[in-house]
Amino acid sequence: MISILAASGAEQGFFATYGVNWPFFIAQLINFILVLLVLKKFAFEPIQEILDKRRTRIADGEAKLEEIQQQLADSEKEKAALLEKANADAKRLIGEAKESAAALSEKKSQEAVATAQNILNKAQEAAKAERATMAAELKQEFGRLVVATTSQVTGKSLDASDQKRINDEAVASLNN
Amino acid sequence: MSLLFRILPVLALLLGSAMPAAAAGAHQLPLYPESPFEGTFFSWISNSMIMVWIGAGLIMLFCRAATKKMALVPSGVQNFAEWLIESLYDFFGNILGERLVKRTFWFFGATFMLILTVNYLGLIPGVGTITTTDSNGHVTALLRGGNADLNMTGAMSLTFFALWLFWSFSEIGPKNFFSHIFSPKGDFSGFMRVGMVVLFFLVGLLEVLSIVIRPIALSFRLFGNIFGGEQLLEGLMALVPWQLAFLPALPFYFMELLVGLVQALVFTLLCAVFVKLMCDHGDEEHH
Repeated sequence: MISILAASGAEQGFFATYGVNWPFFIAQLINFILVLLVLKKFAFEPIQEILDKRRTRIADGEAKLEEIQQQLADSEKEKAALLEKANADAKRLIGEAKESAAALSEKKSQEAVATAQNILNKAQEAAKAERATMAAELKQEFGRLVVATTSQVTGKSLDASDQKRINDEAVASLNN
Repeated sequence: MSLLFRILPVLALLLGSAMPAAAAGAHQLPLYPESPFEGTFFSWISNSMIMVWIGAGLIMLFCRAATKKMALVPSGVQNFAEWLIESLYDFFGNILGERLVKRTFWFFGATFMLILTVNYLGLIPGVGTITTTDSNGHVTALLRGGNADLNMTGAMSLTFFALWLFWSFSEIGPKNFFSHIFSPKGDFSGFMRVGMVVLFFLVGLLEVLSIVIRPIALSFRLFGNIFGGEQLLEGLMALVPWQLAFLPALPFYFMELLVGLVQALVFTLLCAVFVKLMCDHGDEEHH
């Protein structure tokens, strides 16, 4: 640049006019290069390093956040699916329980009806047997009364065969 | 703002009427840097160089404070430094692309911070006005705006030019580098192709010229703006009695704050664009 300036300078004292001379120029050149190197080493490198570190940290944080959000969304989906399945299961169980309860209730009521019928039948049979017993006892009593009455009316004592005959006749007339 | 517009015409009138007085006045900032240690072993130290050292020292102290106890959760100076560096990184990243900015940011970030700090330091009262007088009666400013010195701006431009060549060669290779400059763009055949080869060779020569002029333009642009700003402030202060010297220059101090930032941006932005223009080719190939 200096040689070009020298060539283009119309006057001999071009450099002198602007005070450009080797000692000043070289000293300024060294100053500038030293400042550049010192700033590069002690200012820009450490600050850029920490900026990069922070950028990486933020990017990592963002990635982790995204991952967590994805996991949250997945878990929400999973939870919703589980809830849906649980609801369906519960509904099915309730339905089954209802059905089973209805069947059990039907069975129990049928059993109760059968038991009641049974009891009724037994009661009827017992009543019938009691009535037959009572009828038999009544017939016997009637026969005895007829024999006693006949004995008292005729005034003679009746032997066993007479008693049996009269008794049979009375029972026969009662049956008719 | 309306106050500014009311003051400006008054200042213009003052400037017109009092300029000869200023010209005939006291010490004026020369176009060139001087050594306050002229005639000693340290005569190679210029007044602008001292400002660059102060600027570099302040940046280093700031960086030291910011990186001393670095924590993943930043606070205080570290927070500010991270904001500054991240903003600059994103700004240059938008121009250069992710891969190139990772490789070249240290240059653009450091250059921007240095130019900005040195520009603002040049605005501190006393810079350019506190002087020493040698035995011959020669008056020299003790301090001078770091970028109001063509040696400094030239050193920065030349460093960039060397780095630009290195980055370009390493990114796209020498073959692509020269082909980018000289080879015809487009698909031609026959006579057209011969014509285009000649035409693009001539265009390439112009491109080489523009590449060579880049560091010169970069250094003169920065030097001119900063030196011009200092001259303006100094000239305005010389217009009125010294008790009121601060007054006409005050609005222009705000303008110079803006100029300091804009020039730091322009220098680094242009450098980034030059890198991108040449290495863009390589970017496509890498992707």
